[in-house]
Amino acid sequence: MKDFLYYKPKTIEEACEILTRYNGEASILNGGTDVIVRIHDGLNHPKALVDIKGISGLKTISFSKEDGLVLGACANMNAVINHKDILENYQIIAEAAHTVGSCQVRNRATIIGNITNASPLADTATPLLALDAVVEVFGVEGPREISINDFFVFVRRTSLKVGDVVTAVKVPYYKELKGSYQKHSRRDAVDLATVCASVLMVDGEIKIALGSVAPTPIRCRKAEDFLRGKKLTEELIKEATHRALEEVSPISDVRATKEYREEIARVLVSRGLRDLMG
Amino acid sequence: MKHKINFILNNEEITHEVAANRTLLDVIREDFDLTGAKEGCGAGECGACTILVDRKPINACLMLAVEADGKEILTIEGLSVNNKLDQIQQAFIDHAALQCGYCTPGMIMSGKALLMDNPSPTEEEVKEAISGNLCRCTGYKKIVEAIMEVADKTNSAR
Repeated sequence: MKDFLYYKPKTIEEACEILTRYNGEASILNGGTDVIVRIHDGLNHPKALVDIKGISGLKTISFSKEDGLVLGACANMNAVINHKDILENYQIIAEAAHTVGSCQVRNRATIIGNITNASPLADTATPLLALDAVVEVFGVEGPREISINDFFVFVRRTSLKVGDVVTAVKVPYYKELKGSYQKHSRRDAVDLATVCASVLMVDGEIKIALGSVAPTPIRCRKAEDFLRGKKLTEELIKEATHRALEEVSPISDVRATKEYREEIARVLVSRGLRDLMG
Repeated sequence: MKHKINFILNNEEITHEVAANRTLLDVIREDFDLTGAKEGCGAGECGACTILVDRKPINACLMLAVEADGKEILTIEGLSVNNKLDQIQQAFIDHAALQCGYCTPGMIMSGKALLMDNPSPTEEEVKEAISGNLCRCTGYKKIVEAIMEVADKTNSAR
């Protein structure tokens, strides 16, 4: 691996200061399951890595009905999967996290790392999109919030600025949350999604988010708007699925062709909606 | 620049100096001659480098050595006590759960981590626990049987 400097700041201010000083040439090291592979493979050449695991409080997962779920930046996937409050109130997040990599990877990888990588197929992105999560950021000007809906900009690009550190992701509490995470991949274990989908009923409203069908994970707003206030029927599902498909723009790559992805997206959306009928 | 790290490696307290760009796998193999863990893919897909950090299985190829500061590390070499093999090592031998042996240390460490956490797993749980470990010779049947035997023994001893 190409050499780099390693920093392990104790405070968020210090982490932000180092990242700012390197002006985009330093990367954050959290679980490392992506950044280390990219350095190893010569895809990234950061001059420095800033390990944020020494900052206190970032591992915390907390929940209350008032504040919802707060997932600290350094909480790993396995901590999320096994967390009682998440299993009770946000099962879809646990389901999606459970499909990431292997047990070994999930002991290091984090949800915050998953979303900040901004891969179009990030497993935990679609549940967070469908649940209107909020990304908590600490930057040069102090703390601020970014809606997950404004977070993903392009393939591997987010609206984060130089010096920004995501400290947590917040998910509002919902009284009613139905639906599941669907991942279509070549293998059941240790694979990336060919297409993934979160189709949910959240406090009476249907939310649809898809992954790996566009440059970023997306919300299917047209289909959601169409379904608002309506009771699901086979006829409506057909039309809503059609509208959702108008919002996708997949590419062909090593995992699947564009046409295959469109077909799978169609199946996942209609299946997800049908599951919500019962 | 080198970093001084303190960690526990197979029950021994260690102070060591490492460069930032070395993986934990590289350091345990090259500096400590613990060559059980291996680099297969270098990307967290094959599990041949599986070791336990604070009792949890991780891919040592995806962790920097400098991150091991303050951690407790267990590799396949630390499983046996006074030349007596751990039950799970013996079970792999008894079941002939290996052929070329390349994946074996990783398989055993994944199995060990599961059993430490959950002494009586179901077969499904065993399969899931080793789903991050690839074997390209024998298939997984005997490996699952070996891990299940240790689980069953633990259960009947209760």
